[in-house]
Amino acid sequence: MRKSFPVEDLARDERFVRVPIMDRINDPRTARQEQAGTKGKRGPGRLTPDRPDAPDAARALMHGIFTGEIQALEGAGRTCWDFEVGSGNGEGIPEVPFELKLDMARQCWDEARHCEISIKLSDHMGTEIGEFSENTFLYEAACNPDPVLRLTGVNRALEGLAIDVFNTMREFGDVAGDAVLEFCEDWMLADEVTHVKMGSDWLRRLTADDKERQQRALEFQRVVDKLFSLGGFRGDEEDSPVRLARRFRELAGFKDDEMDTLAEVAREARQEMDARIEANRAAVAQ
Amino acid sequence: MADPKKPRAPFAPWDRRELPGTFTVEESARRVGHYKWIEMRLFEVLGGWVATVPELDVKLRLGTHCYHHAWHAELWHKRLPELREMNPERLTAPPNDALVAFVDAMTEPEAPELTIEKLVGAYRVLAPAKIAAYTYHLNNTSRITDAPTIRSLGFILQDEMDDWRDGEMMLQSLIETEDELQRAIDHQTKLQRLLLAAGGIAGPGTIGESYITEEETHA
Repeated sequence: MRKSFPVEDLARDERFVRVPIMDRINDPRTARQEQAGTKGKRGPGRLTPDRPDAPDAARALMHGIFTGEIQALEGAGRTCWDFEVGSGNGEGIPEVPFELKLDMARQCWDEARHCEISIKLSDHMGTEIGEFSENTFLYEAACNPDPVLRLTGVNRALEGLAIDVFNTMREFGDVAGDAVLEFCEDWMLADEVTHVKMGSDWLRRLTADDKERQQRALEFQRVVDKLFSLGGFRGDEEDSPVRLARRFRELAGFKDDEMDTLAEVAREARQEMDARIEANRAAVAQ
Repeated sequence: MADPKKPRAPFAPWDRRELPGTFTVEESARRVGHYKWIEMRLFEVLGGWVATVPELDVKLRLGTHCYHHAWHAELWHKRLPELREMNPERLTAPPNDALVAFVDAMTEPEAPELTIEKLVGAYRVLAPAKIAAYTYHLNNTSRITDAPTIRSLGFILQDEMDDWRDGEMMLQSLIETEDELQRAIDHQTKLQRLLLAAGGIAGPGTIGESYITEEETHA
């Protein structure tokens, strides 16, 4: 089996349909679903049960969580396989500490459980596997050949997004009176805090004597975070569909200034999306 | 309760543990190093295979089992210094080149249509070999002097039996035609030959010696 497994080859059964992330981001219909009488106002806004499209939006988000969990499982699994155990000073295949691989194996188990939970919850919410499309941007972050950058992209950016999403879904379950949803999301949220903390700890340990590598890793995280903000889908604004879960991110090792930076990155992504939509509008009007 | 000062036997009547055991400290450490090596190879490949199998149930089980074997590797890693091996990496090694050849062949399948071959290697060849080696160790080491190893073996064997059953059931559910059955048999035979050449996961003597030697016969 090869070291490093390309995203195009991710194995799926025939129910799954892939849509490139850029197609979704560039599609003004999903970025801005204007409702009658609210022209010019950003929508659909925060996920709350009183939204007319709340059931479908929640089901779509849950399916997105499910496919994200599969890719998180695959990414952690590949980190077990792709790197050799060593001090990190060897030539050729990058080396990682034995304990890092153990953490990744543990994460495999956690993500496998999250897949199981997501499948059960999707069923609970009335969704079938494959009902919504899958995009593979999560796994793409797990393909970085440098283990430090990979862990930073996956465990801090990707799993950080999972903290935000699970917290949003947990609150949605609470407000909607769905005790099953709230219960499950709370358990998954606990795991994600652990995974993000793993990423924070390994980033610090592996780059303690290599500040240049640390900066590259943080820059990679910034790129991934911007992508994961999905044109403003995740952000720190009151009407962000998925809001930054600052309290849980803090438990996972994020500092205040890091979260402020992340909020800024999300704002940038939102502004860029708004500009893209305006350009699309102008093109259609001509 | 009788008089608390009345002497009692240090070993209860139902406690039949005996001294000594079959393995010296050095032999035990050598075997534990081989165990760690094979558990590492197994958790690594199960993790790697997750992305390559399209069957959703198999994908999720591989992710779960990946952690089981990583935990086994961690248990053996922690046991090595307790067996006077202060550099655990030194003994984290295969017993011979033949076992490396076996692992190379077992980890080779990658294509999405080769799930049967992947599972055959892990669950029909390696899992029974590990269960045999661990059971032999459990039954032959001293239950007094080597109790920490025995405790780990107990936990690990429980996992191994559960995971072997999971893997075997997944295989039975995947094998539906004569061709698929033949594929499973062919791959198992190929890997079993390589494992035979290695003498087991700890090399020759992995499960002891069953035949009576000439000297013993005439003793």
